[in-house]
Amino acid sequence: MPLSAIRTVAKPQNGVGAFILQCRKLEFHYCDWAGSSRGMNAFIKSSLPSFAKRNPQIEISVSPRPRRHPVIRAHYINGNQRAICVRNLTNEGVREKAELLRDASGEKNKRVNKPVTSINESVRGIWSPFHGAKIQI
Amino acid sequence: MKRIRISRCAQQLLAQPSPRRPLCPCATVLQRNITPHNHRIQARFQTTAAIQNNEDLEIEIEEPSASEAIESTSRSSAPQRRRRMRLENLPSPHPSAASHSAKLSALRARLSLHQRFPLQTLARTLVHPSADPDPAFNNASLSILGANLLGYYTTEYLMCNYPRLPMSVIFAAQYAYVGPKALATVASEWGIEAAAEPGGEVDPGLLQFKRIKSGDDVPPALRRQAPWKWNVTTTHKIVATDEFGSNNAPPGPHSLSATAVPMEEAAQSFVRALIGALHLHLGSPLVKRFFRDHFLSRHLDISTLFDFRTPTRDLSRLCAREGFEAPVARLISETGRLSRHPVFVVGVYSGKDKLGEGAGSSLNEARVRAAAAALKAWYLYRPIEVTVPSSMEGELDTSKWKPNMVDCGEVIV
Repeated sequence: MPLSAIRTVAKPQNGVGAFILQCRKLEFHYCDWAGSSRGMNAFIKSSLPSFAKRNPQIEISVSPRPRRHPVIRAHYINGNQRAICVRNLTNEGVREKAELLRDASGEKNKRVNKPVTSINESVRGIWSPFHGAKIQI
Repeated sequence: MKRIRISRCAQQLLAQPSPRRPLCPCATVLQRNITPHNHRIQARFQTTAAIQNNEDLEIEIEEPSASEAIESTSRSSAPQRRRRMRLENLPSPHPSAASHSAKLSALRARLSLHQRFPLQTLARTLVHPSADPDPAFNNASLSILGANLLGYYTTEYLMCNYPRLPMSVIFAAQYAYVGPKALATVASEWGIEAAAEPGGEVDPGLLQFKRIKSGDDVPPALRRQAPWKWNVTTTHKIVATDEFGSNNAPPGPHSLSATAVPMEEAAQSFVRALIGALHLHLGSPLVKRFFRDHFLSRHLDISTLFDFRTPTRDLSRLCAREGFEAPVARLISETGRLSRHPVFVVGVYSGKDKLGEGAGSSLNEARVRAAAAALKAWYLYRPIEVTVPSSMEGELDTSKWKPNMVDCGEVIV
């Protein structure tokens, strides 16, 4: 055989064709008794239905967690979990935290110090010292 | 010092709470319409419906009877007997459970599928034949349809856009886009979770398949098998096996019923079945868009798939075939010939045309790289305007059709 081929798997580019929201599931834990979850209870009663309607791609579950602080736990497609304690926050604050969890990718926070990261090769090519006007053999 | 819980400290000041648990069966009836005062007894609010009593775990099915054929004339007008069956006895979730599943509707929204696509079908695509051998409830038939559609759309994309690709590279590119590994990765990127054990009581939004027990072997159908002949030809790979140029045909979906399978196998069958189901429910234009968004948008550099053995010989054969002048390698520039790391830049020329260029640490390496670059430049030719055959399906106006280029094939040495 003059030629054989190497088997690989094409790399995903989320958002290039289809965009898949990385947050898979949101769990809202509240307590009916404790004062720290007053905002959480207000959020569940007033804003959660509209939040769920705006984000149909997230599975939402609400469950009590008696005598504990209220918590929002998010499950991501890559298998990670992220939880935020929303004690003593208001309805608006809880909504902001829920949106923060919804928009997160589930990756660990990383420092980004390069302006561009790409899997495509550079259009201009890599500079070569051998290709110029001055080269003479 | 142990602290006293605040809830207990002021308990004597509160009104006497109602008993937490009914003491006798008569009390249950009385207790039902009383709201519990104790904060520990709380109603559960969940998007997934909580199971309240045992009646929800049962479902009515029509009882099949063996003597039905004989008695059919006598009791054709009689009402059919119905029997209550426990959900645990079903091999896979009942289709009626699909409309209540939060996971399923979330999955449908996540994939931006149309509301017209029914959740019951989505639930069926998640049932692998190993969980439910009944072909009316598993995804085997849908996955056969989906595999053919995926193969068709990928092949036409590759063959129309890269008409000169050698057969082995087409196979590898197919494998990269819609091969078994790629489909399993796609399923995991869609957030598919697997059920620990399939059954009627499981949430229908989970992938249902029979798992291989730890320590057990992979079933013989999925194990690597010896090729049927010592010299498997390309023709045999095209005609007799799958679209990825394997030596053996893969096991059919129906043959895997009631055998334990790895999760990758079940995930692939889900993706294929979803494509098949989309084709049946939404029609081919939407499936093509779905395929373009989820599969063709993935990044694959086809130039990295080539693995040349003798590029210089191939290139001279190619030039002879196409009537070009014989290729000649010439040194373009060099540095450090006598040093520890010299660099030579060599170009391959046919007459006055430079076919390719390569850099290497020896003259021979640079020449081979240059020949490989020239061959890639030939094989990776892309026509500017392409109309794929499936875009003309059902169209009466043929004026938009532009015939595609068909190349005479790869270099045969």
